[in-house]
Amino acid sequence: MDRECVALLPRVCEVLAESGKSLPDDTSLEKLLDWFTGLAKAGASLLEVCPCLLEFISTVIYNTDADPSVLSFTLKLTGLMAASEDGFKMLKECSILRQAYDIQHWQDAGLWEDPCIRIGWIQGLRSMLQHPMALHFLVETDFTRHLLQLQTDASLFVASAANQVLAHILVFFQPLSSDDVEKKEEKEMRTYACIKAPIAMDTDIEHLAVAMETSHEYIAVTTAISDHLKVSLVPKENAQFHQSLQSLKLLALLLAQAKPPLEDTLLRTVLGSLEALVKAEYSQLTLPLMDVLLTACSHCNTDEHVTDQTVSCLLSSMLDTSKPSDLIQAAAAVLRRGHRDIIHSAKAVGILLLPLDIITGQTLLSTHSEEQRFSVEELLKSKTSCISMLCVSLMNTPQITLMPPDFLPCPPVTVVTAVLSLLRICSGHAPSSSIGSSKTCRNIIGNGKVQRCGLEALTALSTSPGGKEKMSEVFTVLIQYLQNPDSDPTVIQKSYQALVKWMGVCTDISSMRDQLTQDLLEVVKKRMCDMHWEVRDSTVEFLGQLGGVCTSTKPDQVVCVSEALLGCSTVPLLIEALCDSESYVRASTISALAQTLAHSWQQGAAVTQEQTDIVIRLLDILSNDTEGFARRAVVQYFTAWFSSYSSNTLPLSSSSSSLLMKSVHSVLSQGSADLDWEVKLHTLQLAQLLLDKALPGLQGSRLDSDTHTTPPTPSLNNLPHPYAVGSDQAYTLHTHTGAQTHTDPAGEGGCRESMEMDLADAVHSLVEQGVVSALLSGLVDCDRPVGLKACRLLRTLRDTICLQDTPAALATATRVACELPGSGWGREIRKILEKKCDWSKCESEEDDSVCVGVYEALRSLGLDEKLAILTQSSDHVHNSPLSLLQDILSTSDTHTQPGTQPGQEVIVDCY
Amino acid sequence: SSLRRLQADSRSRGDRKNTGNSRVVYCTVSHFFSFFFSLQGAGQDVGRSCILVSIGGKNIMLDCGMHMGYNDDRRFPDFSYITQNGRLTEFLDCVIISHFHLDHCGALPYMSEMVGYDGPIYMTHPTKAICPILLEDFRKITVDKKGETNFFTSQMIKDCMKKVIPLNLHQTVQVDDELEIKAYYAGHVLGAAMVHIKVGSESVVYTGDYNMTPDRHLGAAWIDKCRPDILISESTYATTIRDSKRCRERDFLKKVHETIERGGKVLIPVFALGRAQELCILLETFWERMNLKAPIYFSTGLTEKANHYYKLFITWTNQKIRKTFVQRNMFEFKHIKAFDRSYADNPGPMVVFATPGMLHAGQSLQIFKKWAGNEKNMVIMPGYCVQGTIGHKILNGQRKLEMEGRLSLTKKLCRNNNNKTCSHQGSESNHHLLDVKLQVEYMSFSAHADAKGIMQLIRMAEPRNMLLVHGEAAKMEFLKGKIEQEFNINCYMPANGETETVTTNPSVPVDISLNLLKREMALGGPLPDTKKPRTMHGTLIMKENSLRLVSPEQALKELGLNEHQLRFTCRVQLQDPHSDSDTLHRIYTHLKSVLKGYTIQHLPDSTVMVESIVIKLSSSAEDPNTKVLLLSWSYQVIDLSYSQC
Repeated sequence: MDRECVALLPRVCEVLAESGKSLPDDTSLEKLLDWFTGLAKAGASLLEVCPCLLEFISTVIYNTDADPSVLSFTLKLTGLMAASEDGFKMLKECSILRQAYDIQHWQDAGLWEDPCIRIGWIQGLRSMLQHPMALHFLVETDFTRHLLQLQTDASLFVASAANQVLAHILVFFQPLSSDDVEKKEEKEMRTYACIKAPIAMDTDIEHLAVAMETSHEYIAVTTAISDHLKVSLVPKENAQFHQSLQSLKLLALLLAQAKPPLEDTLLRTVLGSLEALVKAEYSQLTLPLMDVLLTACSHCNTDEHVTDQTVSCLLSSMLDTSKPSDLIQAAAAVLRRGHRDIIHSAKAVGILLLPLDIITGQTLLSTHSEEQRFSVEELLKSKTSCISMLCVSLMNTPQITLMPPDFLPCPPVTVVTAVLSLLRICSGHAPSSSIGSSKTCRNIIGNGKVQRCGLEALTALSTSPGGKEKMSEVFTVLIQYLQNPDSDPTVIQKSYQALVKWMGVCTDISSMRDQLTQDLLEVVKKRMCDMHWEVRDSTVEFLGQLGGVCTSTKPDQVVCVSEALLGCSTVPLLIEALCDSESYVRASTISALAQTLAHSWQQGAAVTQEQTDIVIRLLDILSNDTEGFARRAVVQYFTAWFSSYSSNTLPLSSSSSSLLMKSVHSVLSQGSADLDWEVKLHTLQLAQLLLDKALPGLQGSRLDSDTHTTPPTPSLNNLPHPYAVGSDQAYTLHTHTGAQTHTDPAGEGGCRESMEMDLADAVHSLVEQGVVSALLSGLVDCDRPVGLKACRLLRTLRDTICLQDTPAALATATRVACELPGSGWGREIRKILEKKCDWSKCESEEDDSVCVGVYEALRSLGLDEKLAILTQSSDHVHNSPLSLLQDILSTSDTHTQPGTQPGQEVIVDCY
Repeated sequence: SSLRRLQADSRSRGDRKNTGNSRVVYCTVSHFFSFFFSLQGAGQDVGRSCILVSIGGKNIMLDCGMHMGYNDDRRFPDFSYITQNGRLTEFLDCVIISHFHLDHCGALPYMSEMVGYDGPIYMTHPTKAICPILLEDFRKITVDKKGETNFFTSQMIKDCMKKVIPLNLHQTVQVDDELEIKAYYAGHVLGAAMVHIKVGSESVVYTGDYNMTPDRHLGAAWIDKCRPDILISESTYATTIRDSKRCRERDFLKKVHETIERGGKVLIPVFALGRAQELCILLETFWERMNLKAPIYFSTGLTEKANHYYKLFITWTNQKIRKTFVQRNMFEFKHIKAFDRSYADNPGPMVVFATPGMLHAGQSLQIFKKWAGNEKNMVIMPGYCVQGTIGHKILNGQRKLEMEGRLSLTKKLCRNNNNKTCSHQGSESNHHLLDVKLQVEYMSFSAHADAKGIMQLIRMAEPRNMLLVHGEAAKMEFLKGKIEQEFNINCYMPANGETETVTTNPSVPVDISLNLLKREMALGGPLPDTKKPRTMHGTLIMKENSLRLVSPEQALKELGLNEHQLRFTCRVQLQDPHSDSDTLHRIYTHLKSVLKGYTIQHLPDSTVMVESIVIKLSSSAEDPNTKVLLLSWSYQVIDLSYSQC
């Protein structure tokens, strides 16, 4: 622990112990506890390192006038300290433990009513319960009973915490079977790291297990909890649902982690109650009960086991319940939990498909109980339950179609047909002859919720077996949705998403061309003018995504779907959208343009007038658009273009190359001076590509060591999104190993001179292109990610020059100079350089700019120190424990020493 | 239509336990993990406003805020308390956001894009427009703090906003067939709204943050006399009667002016939108009036966008701004210019608005570092700063700030166990001490209703129950007492995570047929009067979510049913030596004597009739003294029949 923190802690404890003194804000105590927890986890003994804590605790727990939040903190801290056996003994000897956790004491003081005291008490116990002595304490004080009572506390947080502790007690102290011990030993052999942590005592678990096996305390606690579960699972009256619910949650928690001896004990005890609960058919308890049964089932080893058989029977009963709304929830739970036994899964599938079968009239189920069918039909007549049931049903259809054929009552393609029928009904396009039940259909016509669920299901069904047979119908339905004037923006968005997905799996797009082209183009044009920006944005995003969708019938024949369907109509549409009033749409348009033009870039095609116009428009957006999103997208457009150019194996046409390089220069100068931090960051990514291009083979091993792996250069089809956080891993310099880079084999001396010149030329070209200026400007930027990125790149550049193995090469390279303007970032850089006495500059006669040697500047900027600072969090100084302790003290001083600081109380209102 | 709508008030009279048709509104209030408990006013919580209301079977989330004081998952509400497995879409019917402050909307993209809520989200048009700006602004701060995980991206913010359905003021929006919402003006910030949520006859009003007094650019909150079952009100200033905002504004202008006059520079750290624009208007007007020349800068580049929105949503501002809009738009600033970082070094006075608002990173921090050493300068903090920021430190009077950025051996001051100051050589550190000499001022410009305002709103809305949130426990307790005393209604103040259940007695509207009313009137009944409830007889038909009281004949006709008469029969044995006819006569005479006022007939076919009750008599074949009485009666005279039996 920091010496300064140790020095401040006693005073902080004094402040906290004095009731009435102000705390800096409501998070301080939690952060303080975080710090202590971190120390304890790192192996420190809190009692040894911070002896003042003992005095603090003993003072506070007797002071019932103390603020409840401080008392709560103290209870948690006490538990944390008692997590180690030494700490526990010490606290027990001082009688602190008993006093702190004495509920009667808090009740008498009228503090127990405060939920934060109860939370402190529970969490303190939870921290403490890491060793047998703590368990003994728990049993001795009969705290299990209190914890069971707190299970139904009025506060959700208290009730949930109580459940967690109860589960922790049984699971943590449970005896391990010999198999488990062996497995654990094996695991530890592989990943053994000996950190003696007093609260995470995994290494001692085997010993604990042995001790626990015969522990009376453990048996007593297990009995108390399981008996309580047995009694409390079945509600005696309506008011007890909360109790049952909590008990079911606890049981699910326990069963998920319990090993055989405990699991068996638990199941044996509660089986009768579970049976009663299943029979009672309480709707409110269906889901938690399913959770318990499915968790128990997932642990079942063999059908021969009586308990397992009973659990399986109960699960069957749940899937036979008479209430259709509960039934469908239960069936969905079976699928969600990935339960896989043919009887239950097949049954669940049948239940889930029944509403679809009824409404669409598609025969999805060959056999089904008439009684159940009738009751579902009745329920579907009510609008609310109809929508709710259908949504559950639709959500599960994709998973259903992927199940083994034995589980399915019909071929997967029939399910796709049913979903399509349903979507038609929802949009009012279904022919009346094909509708199953006209009464129920009225409930869903035009319903956005069902439409969204249906479209999501359809999107996921694109990969279902047999789905391809329905391709044509799918496109028809989706186009209808896009055309429908009543479709709301979220429905339109989902329709587009489904369309992209289905087009991606369509192997023969040419066959669809006749069907799609005309309608799609028309609807896209219409939606580009929609009054809702959300729709326009989704349309533009769709066009962009379409640009990236390629299909191939033969290995050597890749077809771009966008080109195949829309021909050359996309780009003019997108150019028009560049003027959209909404910046989100403008940004998406720019991104879509990049995705659409990617193919022509990759093919190295000559630049067209249209492309030149686009470039002019984009540069105009970069300099004039008032919103960051669009400007960010512009920089990313050029980054993608340049990236395509650098990785292209085909020769780039000279017109294209010249236009690109001219644009890049403008982008670098404008982008680095932008007011938006992400524009600057994206500009640095472009600068990084330029560095990479300019210094191939000469670059030393990458020294920006925080880039752990070098990701592949992004393909144009998976361009980073225009709003993605600038990641250092998005575009990185091509890595060359040291061996490859620095080997200058004998006999290649002839190349040396040219290499020396190459380096100088490269650095010179980087200066000319504005890369160096962009990097230097970024280095002194007030936005940390920008500074960090620039610093890393500058270091790489410096080291690349520095690592030249011949003095001549170095000398040539060091002659390259760059200009520092007299204001802005130039002045900042000059200030740094001026601190170095040996820097040389050449002043301009025209303005107050100066020229400095690039290499010299890079050496003098203190890049390594700067990097060390920038790689840390921007708030690392002020979010440190020391800072926290200082804040607690200064707040206290402000309140106790009038005249030290402003008289006005800081009002905690809003931000 | 032959139907006339009347309200059949089913409110209970007398003992509440006897109310057969009362229903229950579950109002779960959970400001997740935010603590109301505090010491001397500093422990209040700002953040994670997130309230779950269950009303008439509908679940509605009110606000979805974040806490800026944490860097981990604790900054967001823990949605697993609502429902596990991320099935929020199934559970929630809608989410309503009251305004764009991050403690009310900051967790929304996390909830919709990361946890997976795909249902409707409602907020006003200005809130929808401004929310992404603040979310972006905050995202930048989190990116600045390295090691951030589990945080939303720009794309997520956009995708979330695409799900938002905008609300207009006073427009009733039908979420589904049963749930409707209506927004009311709340003041506080541009676009802030209170919302009236109604399911059937039950309703809740949620205020969000609101202000009952108009300010320089916004009007006062207003709501209908909608008499909700529950009014959920914020109570930030639960016991405070705040000084007028004018005083604070005057003070602010005075301080800025004095600093400028002495040649100093003024830094005002702000978040991108909201308070910044309010203060800009203030300074702009003042500069104009005083003909001041010192430059005012806005650093973020967002000025234009912000002003664009303020212009766009001019109808949401106050009357004065709306009136003068044609001559001069208050948000077209003449004196406020965009800031370039090089200006910070310019000599002479200036005022700079810079983000972020808590001085924890970025431009505001950079300028602060430059200006902190000069006592002529001033920093004005117009809002609250969380612990762990420089804003927080300077507001608590710290004048020596440890700053990152210099590799040096530093002497650090500390206090030893004996509370004496000592010095020691700190280990090699990347930090240095910044001597803060500039003046530090705190001026809260946030506009919340004070105690008086809260009482005023209660008077306006006339709720049946009151629920206080977003405040400090002790202060809320005081206000609760006042409310209960003055309005004689229940006032609740649940702690975070606690569920409050409020019982309501809803009015169930029933349509009554005109024919039935006419028939009642023909029988001499009074004219229908909604203020004088009375009993009416008829057949109640429940059809397609409506209730109608009609005459039995009409009900049969409407439902296409045939009338069937139900008769009850019973057999009674008695011992009587007389002949059958004598016995029957004796029965007739007896009935005549005991059932005065009833029509009793002895018919020639040896039957006696009492109203519709038919009595026949026969003797047993085995024993002539044993008589068998056969009784038959209809449902209408069931009481009489039983008494006779």
